Amino acid sequence: MNLTSFVFLAFCFITLIIYFIVPKKIQWIILLLSSLVFLFYDNFSLFTVFQALLILLVSYFGGRLIEKYRDTKKETVILLCSIAIILGLLIYLKYSNLLIITYNHIITLLGMSKKVELVTRVSLIGISYYSLIMISYLIDIHRGACKAQKNILKCALFMYYFPILPSGPFVRYETMEKELYKKHKFDYDRMCSGLVRMCWGFFKILVISSRVGYFVDTVYGNMSKFKGFFAILAALFFPLQLYTNFSGSIDVIMGVSEILGINLPENFTGPFFSRTITEFWRNWHITLGAWLKDYIFYPLLKSNFMQKLNKVCKKKFGKNGKKIPLYLSMFVMWLAIGIWHGGAYTYIIGSGMIPFACIFFEDNLAPLAKKINKKLRIDEDGFWYHLYQSVRTYVLFSFAMIFFRASSIMQGLRLIKRMLVFNPWVLLDNKTLYTAGLDMRDFHVMILSVIVLFIVDYFSKKINVREKLFKQNIIVRWAAIYILLFSIIIFGCYGLGYDATSFIYQGF
Amino acid sequence: MKKILKVIAFLFIFCLLWCCTFKVLWLEKASISTIYDEPKKSLDIVYFGASNAFVHFNPVLAFDKYGFTTGMAASGDQPVTIAKYLVKDAEKYQDPKLYVIDLNQYTLELDHYSEADTRNAIDLMPFSLNRLQAIDEMFKYIEVTDHYDPSKKLIEENKKYNYIFSFLKYHNSWKNISKDIFVGDTKYYKGLYFSAGTVKQIPVEKCEWPDEKQALVPEVETIFMDLINLIKERNLNVLFVIPVKSYVDPMYGVPKRFNTLIDIIKANNLDVINFNDVDELSIDFDTDFYNNAHLNAFGATKYTLYFAKYLKEHYDLEDHRQDEKYSSWESEYERFKKNFKKYTDIDYDDLLKEYKEKYNLD
Repeated sequence: MNLTSFVFLAFCFITLIIYFIVPKKIQWIILLLSSLVFLFYDNFSLFTVFQALLILLVSYFGGRLIEKYRDTKKETVILLCSIAIILGLLIYLKYSNLLIITYNHIITLLGMSKKVELVTRVSLIGISYYSLIMISYLIDIHRGACKAQKNILKCALFMYYFPILPSGPFVRYETMEKELYKKHKFDYDRMCSGLVRMCWGFFKILVISSRVGYFVDTVYGNMSKFKGFFAILAALFFPLQLYTNFSGSIDVIMGVSEILGINLPENFTGPFFSRTITEFWRNWHITLGAWLKDYIFYPLLKSNFMQKLNKVCKKKFGKNGKKIPLYLSMFVMWLAIGIWHGGAYTYIIGSGMIPFACIFFEDNLAPLAKKINKKLRIDEDGFWYHLYQSVRTYVLFSFAMIFFRASSIMQGLRLIKRMLVFNPWVLLDNKTLYTAGLDMRDFHVMILSVIVLFIVDYFSKKINVREKLFKQNIIVRWAAIYILLFSIIIFGCYGLGYDATSFIYQGF
Repeated sequence: MKKILKVIAFLFIFCLLWCCTFKVLWLEKASISTIYDEPKKSLDIVYFGASNAFVHFNPVLAFDKYGFTTGMAASGDQPVTIAKYLVKDAEKYQDPKLYVIDLNQYTLELDHYSEADTRNAIDLMPFSLNRLQAIDEMFKYIEVTDHYDPSKKLIEENKKYNYIFSFLKYHNSWKNISKDIFVGDTKYYKGLYFSAGTVKQIPVEKCEWPDEKQALVPEVETIFMDLINLIKERNLNVLFVIPVKSYVDPMYGVPKRFNTLIDIIKANNLDVINFNDVDELSIDFDTDFYNNAHLNAFGATKYTLYFAKYLKEHYDLEDHRQDEKYSSWESEYERFKKNFKKYTDIDYDDLLKEYKEKYNLD
């Protein structure tokens, strides 16, 4: 179900009406039913039902058994088996081709010719999200952070809760338990706030992301024609497309969830104002980062193996030696981020290895940079230095995203090569600039809306913009909402002449 | 209660803004239907059909000559399925004394309509049940094709909801908004669209009208009979017309099918004029066409002079020339004359005098 389709709006409208009409006791059942409709809307078959049921049953019974056999050897066995089944299914559905490609590369290197054909597997929407969510559910029970849900249907609602299916965020049972099953009263102010958030999401997706996407897709799709500054612009625009698309869909579903009375954790906090790559990833896809830290990075760092390695490295390399287990754990975590994003090496490089390398160098070159700044008397707290750092972070992220967007590593390298052609005059020549998917008026709308986005994001870091808006008098408040609504209606890329907006993060 | 009132007020303002916005966004569309734009019950005649209607008949000239008002419910290559629904709307909005229906499209196949043809027709109509039914009927019979490649069917682009909710198509028209559409000179004069250009037609000799008949396309016949039934059911005063054409026009209807249509019309005791048989029109195939399908402003003047006189003589049409409520018709006629002079360098009054003397058209 496309988040910007009428079907989705109608679905939300009907769900909300029924949800607030029925007795509060059974509200969660309505949520479960609508979540099932959402889950199977595009892909209903015996196989998809099997996928959904398998993860649910493994998580539910796994959780119950972990509690039953607490503090026995069986507990660990059950936990590991449950995680293995969930991860196994996820790998089978999402990463078969990555394994096949790797296998074929090895076969080729060994000079053998028996290659394996790529496969097509149908998976349910959000499987990458709820698989990890259910793994964290089992681990949290094991850690004693939460209790296993006794009602399998309630467990199903936690797993299938429809707003998180398209693109997250990652939620924890511990927090969701308090939100999902309690009775929710209709709240007018909450509805207004949720609707405004949904509109802001639609603005990001339909007005900015789709428009930027035309430019990016045109350049990536026609690299022999577009070179130099076109390629640079495409590389710089893609993070904008990705951010507005991803955070826009998060805004839409957070808005829906807010109206329902169920608060979800924030996934973005103005990432483009970050001054370092480390800070950037703390503000980008926050819940994925938190999940990986809690369930991969820290457990690995604290593992017996790493502790032993720490001691060995300290002995051999002195003070700096303790950094080796840290970077090793970080490497594994970034590798996991790359793999999670998709079954292709482009994702592993774009969202895993390059960010890891950036953080590694950032961390190790920081003392040197500090020395240089001191010598040059650069004010590190000044506005211009902050701006420089934010621009630098954006450019580094854009560089990593070249591979994330490319259909293959070769295409990514080709784009980088095309960027080396010096032709800045294309930016000044209107006839040339407007040949890459966007005409002059579209370009102006894009620039204007990106400025609005940056202003809102800037203030969002300091204040709650919606709260501030609702405190204004009715004229200002309504004028702002009407401007937002009509910007979407008039300037949104939808309807005839536009392709259905694809959701970049919905594929994961 | 206060919150409910707030929601209602918010939605009310939203609807107002919506209407204003789309009024502006649609200024650029091919709006040539005057049945909705003119004041209610102010039109004496409504003229239906494809481009022949709004290119051939000059309502402002007819008004100047005889004082009756003619509205247009026409659009380029108007799909035949829509006529029935436009007639219903014309009755609702204008209740005219006479309905003039151009027959050209009824002799053609149903597979030549492009998206522009279907949209220009459907988008004339305001949102109503009638419009929904018109869309439904159009989808029942017509498969929209690509304008440049009729063999290509536009299935995805032409889903019903895209027609029902026109804003899905037109919200993007903001790109075409310019100062001209607010203050510029509109190209329509109470429905007339004129061209001053001339294209000599080959062969210049008028062909003989055949005596043979040819069956209509079965679906077209069904659609036409539906229209006839509606006319009879509502007891409407209708005059069918076969437009004057250059015979080399590839889109011109099959003359033998016109004969079949004439038979059906006469069998139902309705009136029809074949303007290809009317010598008094004095159409000059060298000078009176702007392409092989349409008369230019000179041919349209001859056609209007003859046809308006015929209408005045055969139907009881009121003269509104002294009525101040109709002053816009006079000013539009003046604007037309001014632009005619601008594009042809000929004074329109002098041209009318010449036609009166030369062809006895007055």
